This record gives sequence, structure tokens and C-alpha cells, in this order.
Amino acid sequence: MPDYEAPQTIPKPTTEPGRIARFDPWWLLVFGVVGLLAILIAGKPDPFRRIAVFVTDGIWVTIRITIVSFVLILIAGLIGGLGRIAKNPLIHGAASLYVEIVRGVPLLVQLIFIYYAAPQLLTAIGEGIASAIPALAGPAGLLIGIQLDPFVAAVFGFTICYGAYMSEIYRAGIQSIPKGQMEAARSLGMSYTQSMRYVILPQAVRVILPPVGNEFVALLKDSSLVSAVAVADLTRRGREFMSTTLLSLETWTLVALIYLVMTLFSSRVVSYIERKMSVGK
Amino acid sequence: MENDIIIIEDAHKSFGRVKALTGVSLRVGRGEVVVIVGPSGSGKSTLLRSINHLETLDRGRIVVDGIPLTQAENINRVRAEVGMVFQQFNLFPHLTVVGNILLAQRIVRRRTAAEAEKIAHELLEKVGIPEKADSYPSQLSGGQQQRVAIARALAMQPKVMLFDEPTSALDPEMIKEVLDVMLDLARDGMTMVVVSHEMGFARAAARRIVFMDEGRIVEVGPPESVFTNPRHERTKLFLSRILR
Ligand SMILES: Nc1ncnc2c1ncn2[C@@H]1O[C@H](COP(=O)(O)OP(=O)(O)OP(=O)(O)O)[C@@H](O)[C@H]1O
Ligand SMILES: [Mg+2]
Repeated sequence: MPDYEAPQTIPKPTTEPGRIARFDPWWLLVFGVVGLLAILIAGKPDPFRRIAVFVTDGIWVTIRITIVSFVLILIAGLIGGLGRIAKNPLIHGAASLYVEIVRGVPLLVQLIFIYYAAPQLLTAIGEGIASAIPALAGPAGLLIGIQLDPFVAAVFGFTICYGAYMSEIYRAGIQSIPKGQMEAARSLGMSYTQSMRYVILPQAVRVILPPVGNEFVALLKDSSLVSAVAVADLTRRGREFMSTTLLSLETWTLVALIYLVMTLFSSRVVSYIERKMSVGK
Repeated sequence: MENDIIIIEDAHKSFGRVKALTGVSLRVGRGEVVVIVGPSGSGKSTLLRSINHLETLDRGRIVVDGIPLTQAENINRVRAEVGMVFQQFNLFPHLTVVGNILLAQRIVRRRTAAEAEKIAHELLEKVGIPEKADSYPSQLSGGQQQRVAIARALAMQPKVMLFDEPTSALDPEMIKEVLDVMLDLARDGMTMVVVSHEMGFARAAARRIVFMDEGRIVEVGPPESVFTNPRHERTKLFLSRILR
């Protein structure tokens, strides 16, 4: 494709009424939560400071796993969404099957399956191939005894699961763009891919931004499930601390507050981006 | 090369049980302006849309400028040679007026930015709204939007222009500005197939009027004879309603 860059945002002057100090409960909430955290850690370093120090690396793991997964989810969702609107029955069928299966199985079960059960499945397949077709024993051997890194398994699980939900968001967003847009683009001689890339998707992005933002916040919270597959995230670090100190109330108060700060900030960033993108129409 | 730039032979098209076209044949010569009239649901849009393959025929043959519309690669080639203007304008709302006119020039015709922009500004001059180059479609009136849509199609330097009721979504005071642009185009020798009930335009620009009903062409002839002296009852009935 040529390196032509279609402008993505519409710089139309807003006629927002002057920003008179509107009362915004978000700030109150953030001040409250951050303040409470600070008071706890500074005012009662034992145990709160100890807990905070102990779980800090878990916070980074949680953030990393959320962001890495989310980037992959955006890509998986685009592929799945385009598959869901494809005319080709094979592509459409495969995409629909994927979405239906994934949406019918709980996320935790999927994560556990990928981490614990999938390697066994691959081993069985590898052994099957090797014994059936000895010529392929070499490549089939690669499937045997795979040990997934917990982080990789978790990212993979999130991508597959959230990718299915994201596919539906993309599909709905693309389908919300009037049919005439695609027809106009095609009648100018643009291919399907070019029309999607330069005409449909730039418009669909604005439509899907709010639900995509919600998915990010939901993923941030769901990332705590990875503690079940041996990833040392915030939740798992909290559990470790609790099991050695038995300070349940203090540990989980702090962990919950840290999650709350993260989700409050990310939903704020999401609505900021939304506002930026919805300037003009 | 054939003298007829559009050849439609025995076109059939159904949507489920609805028969939109039932054996339509029509030839359009180079530089000719044909106006299609007919009651709602008679298949006018379907016929127009099958000329650039927005609808796929069930049966029949369409040849545009010597290129049969069968293989996929031909379809994109033909589309680049056939401009289409829609009732609802269908401008790209996320792009400026100039952006709308540039897009396909850049990625289909692969023109340089400078070249494409020069053409865009010339065309905006031609359709009478050079000052709107950097506006967004939502900031334009319907008549202005439709003129941009015409400019966008013309930027591809098509050999044929198709118009599907280009003025029927417009307020009365804006109809003339769009029809004037179309009349200019007709005088410049553009081949045009126009679905429209604007009798003034048809009389001034059309060499032939095609009257369609129930997926068929009922009557074809020069405007004077079809409008003043229709041969078929259905044409008479339809015209008496349109002309009031
Ligand atoms: N995509 C579609 N799906 C189902 N039926 C369709 C579709 N497009 C057209 N039809 C039907 O085909 C018939 C012909 O439609 P067409 O749009 O060509 O008529 P028209 O002459 O352009 O009418 P109008 O003056 O209302 O625009 C109508 O009965 C219409 O309902
Ligand atoms: Mg129509």
C-alpha cells in the first residue's frame, strides 16, 4: 500500500462552554483513594509500607501483562472482526466459531487450560504424528514437552479470550458505518482493503473507542486471574504476603486500593482520548 | 473499438423473490447523456449500480469501454473509469473536501500529492466552491456536498459518470446549482447515465430518455417525443403524475 496517510482526526473547533470549574467527582475519588494510600503507608509503615514494598514488583507485572495483552487483543480483535463481516463463508464460519467457543468458556478456565492442559495436548498430538508418520518425527518432536512461560501463557490466554469480545466490538463498529461509505469508496476504484483502511476503519475507530476503553479497564481487573497460573502479579504477591504474615485485612485493603488507583487512572485516560477523538463530528 | 461505451445485454437481477431487473438491454454511445425515469422500485438504481458492479447480475452481460465486467480485476479497472454520484452524497466525513478528492487519486491513480491537489483545486473551481477546500462535509450545505461528490468522481478522470437521483435529497433552492454543474459536464461531452425526474435537465441535456417499469425498459426515445407524446400507457400515467 502506498505511504499515503489519511488524516485521522478532525480538527474542528469545539464550542465547549468555557471550562468553568465544574465539580468533578472523579477528582474527589482519586484524592480520597490516593490520600488514603498515603496515610496508610506513611502513618502506619508497619505493616502497610512493608506490604507496599513487597507487592511493588507485582504491580509492574500487572501493568506489563495488561498492556502487552491489550496490544495483541487489539490486533486479534481486528482480525476476528474482519472475519466476522467477511463474505467468504469459510472465513466467516471460522471467525464465528472462534467467537462462540471463546465466549462460552470462563476466562479462568481458559487460562488454566492454556497453561496446564495445552502442553499435554500438544505432546499427545506430537507423539501421535511421530508414531503415525515417522518421517515427520523431527518437526513433531518440537510439540512434545513444551513448557509455557507463565507470563506468555497468560498473555496468550487473554489475547484469545478478550480477542473474541473485541472482535464483536470491531464488527459492530464497522457495521455502524453507513453502507454508502463502502460503496462510494469502491466506486472510486479502491479495493476492499483500501476502502477499509482509509474510509471505514478511521470512522469506526471513533465508534468503538468507548467500548474498547471499557475492555481495557476490565482487562486490568481480570489480569488478577493470572495469579492462578503462577504469574507473580499484584494479586499473587498479595496472597504470598498474606500467607506468610496472616495480615489479611491490611494486605487486601492495600491491594484493593492499588487496583482502584490503576483503574481510576486508566478510565480517565480512556475518556480523555474519547473526548479528543470526538472533537468535530 | 466499439462506438458504444456501455453495452448492457439481457440484464437480470433478483433480490430474493423481488425481481429488480428482468431482461434489460441498453447501449450508451460515447458522449451521450441518457436519463432514466420510472416509478419507485422499477429497477433504475439496480441498473445503474450494476454498471459499476455494485450489484452483480444474475444473468446477462455488461461491457464498459470494451472491458467485460466478469473477472475481479476488470471490476476495479472499470470502476476507476466510471464515476458514480449518489443520492446521499456519501462523502467521507472524516476527511476534508480536498481530502475526499485526493484519496482515490493518491491510492488508485497513484498521483503525487502535488499533482492530485492541483486537480482537486481545479475541480473545486469548476463546481464553484473553491473556498470550501478545507472544510469538512458536515460544514457544507447539501448542494455543496453533492458538488464535492461530483468533483471527487471527476478527479479520477472517468469516461462515464453515473448519477443516481443526485438532487432528490436536496432542498429546492440547491437543486439548480447541482444541475448546472451536470449540464456543464454534459456540454463538455461527458458520457452520463442519470436517474432523475428533473424534466428540465432531461430536456436540456438528454439525447434519450429511458422509461423503466417493473424491471424492464418500457420506452426509449428523445425527450420531446417521450415527454410530449409517450407511446405506452404506463409512460403516460407515470408522466402525468410527475409533470403534474
Ligand atoms: N439490496 C436490496 N435488497 C433487497 N431488495 C432490493 C435491494 N435493492 C433493491 N431491491 C428491490 O429491488 C427493486 C428495485 O429497486 P431499485 O432500487 O433498483 O428501484 P428504483 O427504481 O431505483 O426505485 P427508487 O425510485 O425508489 O429509487 C425494488 O423492489 C427494491 O425493493
Ligand atoms: Mg433508486
